[in-house]
Amino acid sequence: MKTTKTLLGAAALALMAAVPAQAQVLFWSTQAAPVEETQKMREDVLAGFEGGVDFQPQEVGPFITRLEAEISAGSGNIGVVGALHGDLSTYADAWVDLSDVDLSGVAVSEAFLELGKLGTDEQKYLPWMQANYVMAANKQALEYLPEGADINALTYDQLVDWAQAMAEDTGSPKFGFPAGPQGLKHRFFQGFLIPSFAGSTVTKFASDEAAAGWEVFKELWQYTNPASTNYAFMQEPLLSGDVWVAFDHIARLADAFNQRPDDFVAFPAPAGPMGRGFMPVLAGVAVPASAPDVEAAKALVQYMLQPDTQVATLLATNFYPVTDAPLPAELPASARALGPAITAMTTSADALPALLPVGLGDMGGQFNQVYTDTFERIVLGNQPIADVLAQQADTLRSVMEQANAPCWLPDAPSEGPCPVD
Amino acid sequence: MSNPTVDVPRTVSAGGAGRFLIWASIVLLCAWVLVPIYLLMVNALSSPAQVSGFPKSGLPGFDFASLQFFAGFAGVAKALWNSILVAVLTMALSIGIGAPAGYALSRFDFPGKEVFRMLVVMTRAFPLPLLALPLAVMFIRTGLDDTALGLALVHTVLAIPFAVLITFSLFSGIPLELEEAAWTLGCNRWQAFQRVVLPLVLPGIAASAVFAFTISWNEVFAAAVLTIENRTLPAFLIQNLNVSPLHLKFAGGAAMVIPALIFIFAVRKYLFAMWGIANR
Repeated sequence: MKTTKTLLGAAALALMAAVPAQAQVLFWSTQAAPVEETQKMREDVLAGFEGGVDFQPQEVGPFITRLEAEISAGSGNIGVVGALHGDLSTYADAWVDLSDVDLSGVAVSEAFLELGKLGTDEQKYLPWMQANYVMAANKQALEYLPEGADINALTYDQLVDWAQAMAEDTGSPKFGFPAGPQGLKHRFFQGFLIPSFAGSTVTKFASDEAAAGWEVFKELWQYTNPASTNYAFMQEPLLSGDVWVAFDHIARLADAFNQRPDDFVAFPAPAGPMGRGFMPVLAGVAVPASAPDVEAAKALVQYMLQPDTQVATLLATNFYPVTDAPLPAELPASARALGPAITAMTTSADALPALLPVGLGDMGGQFNQVYTDTFERIVLGNQPIADVLAQQADTLRSVMEQANAPCWLPDAPSEGPCPVD
Repeated sequence: MSNPTVDVPRTVSAGGAGRFLIWASIVLLCAWVLVPIYLLMVNALSSPAQVSGFPKSGLPGFDFASLQFFAGFAGVAKALWNSILVAVLTMALSIGIGAPAGYALSRFDFPGKEVFRMLVVMTRAFPLPLLALPLAVMFIRTGLDDTALGLALVHTVLAIPFAVLITFSLFSGIPLELEEAAWTLGCNRWQAFQRVVLPLVLPGIAASAVFAFTISWNEVFAAAVLTIENRTLPAFLIQNLNVSPLHLKFAGGAAMVIPALIFIFAVRKYLFAMWGIANR
C-alpha cells in the first residue's frame, strides 16, 4: 500500500538523520534566552571563535535536567555551561578546574574569581558577565518627586510619597512592578526590600524590621498599577505609558531606553533603614567533565573573557563586563543610561549588596516561592503581616535545612544551614 | 404617521428563530477560533511600535521585519524539518502499535483486558519533567540521544493511549458479522481484515494519526531535554519566546501556527470523517 511505503520511507530517512553531527562546541546557557539576544550572541559575540560555537539558551528546567543527565551518564554533548552563580554552585563537583586557562592581558575582578572557586582550591567557573536591577522613570514622573528628594539617593518612604503624588494627580496609579508569573518580583524581596529594612535576606526574615519593610511595600502597592500582577518585562508598560516608574532587571528595561532614549531616566533602587540593598547578578562559564572536547571548551572560555568579546557581550545582552575591558564611546542608549545608575547604586555610601541565593541546588524554586507566597499573602491577600511571616519562616527554615545551605551575603556566615530566627 | 396600516405584530416562525440560533452559534464558534488567529496574524505583520502602541487599528501594518527575523534566525528551517520528521515518525509508530492493540481489544477476550485498557491510559499519568531525567540518561547511554527516532519513541508513548482507545472504538463500530461474512466467502482472518474492515476504518485511523501528529507537534519538554542538534520547532522557539519582546512573540506564534494550520487543512477530510460526517 502506498501509505505504508511512504511511512517506511520516512522511518528510513529518520534513521539516516539519526547519526549526530558533532564538530562545534555546544554552549549550554540559561542567559541570553530572548531570541534577539540569542541572535546577537551567535552573530556578534561567538562568530569570531575559531572552530565554531553552537549557542543554545534554555529555560532553567530543561537546562538542569539535560545537564544532570549528561553528568550522571558521564558523557554528552555540552561543552561549555553558562549560568548564574547559584546554578553553577550546585554542580561544583561536575566542573573541571579552569585555573590553567590563560588569562594574561585580562584583569578579571578578584572578588568574582574568588566566588568562582565555590569554596574549593580549584577555579570551578570563570566569571562571564554581570548585571543588576535598577529603577527607571518616565521623565514626566520627575515633576512629582517629593520635595527635597534626590533621585540618586531615594528612600523607600520617598518612593511611596512619589507614587502617591503621581496617582493622586494623574488619577491612575503610575508605579509598576514585575509581579507577573515571569516577573522577577522575588529578587526584589530577596535582594532589595528585606535587606534594606532588616539587613538580612534569610536570618531576619520574620523580624520586626522585615515586617516594617512589608508595611511600606503594602503602602506602595496602593499606588501601584494593578496590572502589575501580569507584568514580566517592565520595558513594555514603560513604553506604552501605563507605568511611569518601575523596578526591574536592567536587561528587562533596556528596550525602553533604546527605543526612546530621551524619555526615560535610570536611577538606583531606594534605601531603607539598614542601607541600600541591591542584588548584583553574576553569570559564569564552566566546563563539565563530561564535555566531548575539554580543550576546545577551555579555549571558548578563554575567548569569552577577551576584551572585545566582553564588550560585544554587553552590546548583545546588556550584561556588563567582569574584566577591565575598556568600553567604547559609542554605547547604545540603554548602556549609557543604565551603567551610571548601577555605578551610583553599587558605590553609594549606604550600599548593601545581597547576593543571589547560593548553594540551594534544586531547592532554588522553593526558596523563591517562599518570598512570592509571602508577597501574595501580605500584599494581594491582605493577611496579617506577623502571622504570614511566622508561617513562611517555618517553610523557609525547612527549605534551608533540606538544602543544607549556609548563609550568603548580607547574612553572616553560618556553620550548617543558614538559621531563620 | 405616513403609514396608515394597522400595526400588526410580525409573526416569528419557530423555524426562523431556530435558524437564527444555529447561525449565531456558527458565527460564535468561528469567531472563537478565527479572532485569536486574526489578531496573531495582524500583530505578526506589524512593526514593534504598532504592536505596543495604542489605540490599535486592527489592520496589519504589513511590516515583515518580525517575520523576517525568524526566517533568518539560525536553525528555524532545520527545526521545522525535525518537527515534521518526529511527528510523522510518531504518527507511524503510534498507529503501527496502537491500531493492532485497538483491534485486539475490540475483537478478542483475553485475561487482563480491563487492566490493559487501564494501563494504556496510565502512561499519561506521569508528568514528563519527572521522567525526562532518567530517560535522558538512558538515551545518552544507548545512543538514542539527540535523534529523531528517540524523541519519536517518547512522543509515541504519549500518543498511544489515544491511538488505542480511538481505534478500539472504531473497530467496535464495525459489526463482527461483516467479517464473518467474509470468512464464509473464503477469506482468512487477515484477508477479511484487509478487504472488509480496513477500508471502513481507514478514515478513522487517519484521524487518530492526525491526533498523534498534533501531540508530537505540541510537545516541548521532552523535546527540549532529549534533543540538542536535532531540535523540534516548539522546543526551539517556545524556550526563547516567553522571554522575548511582544512583537517577536506574535511572529514566533505565527511561525508555530501556520505549519499546523496548513497540515490540518490538508487532512481536514479525515478529521471530519472521524466524527462521521461523510465528506467523500
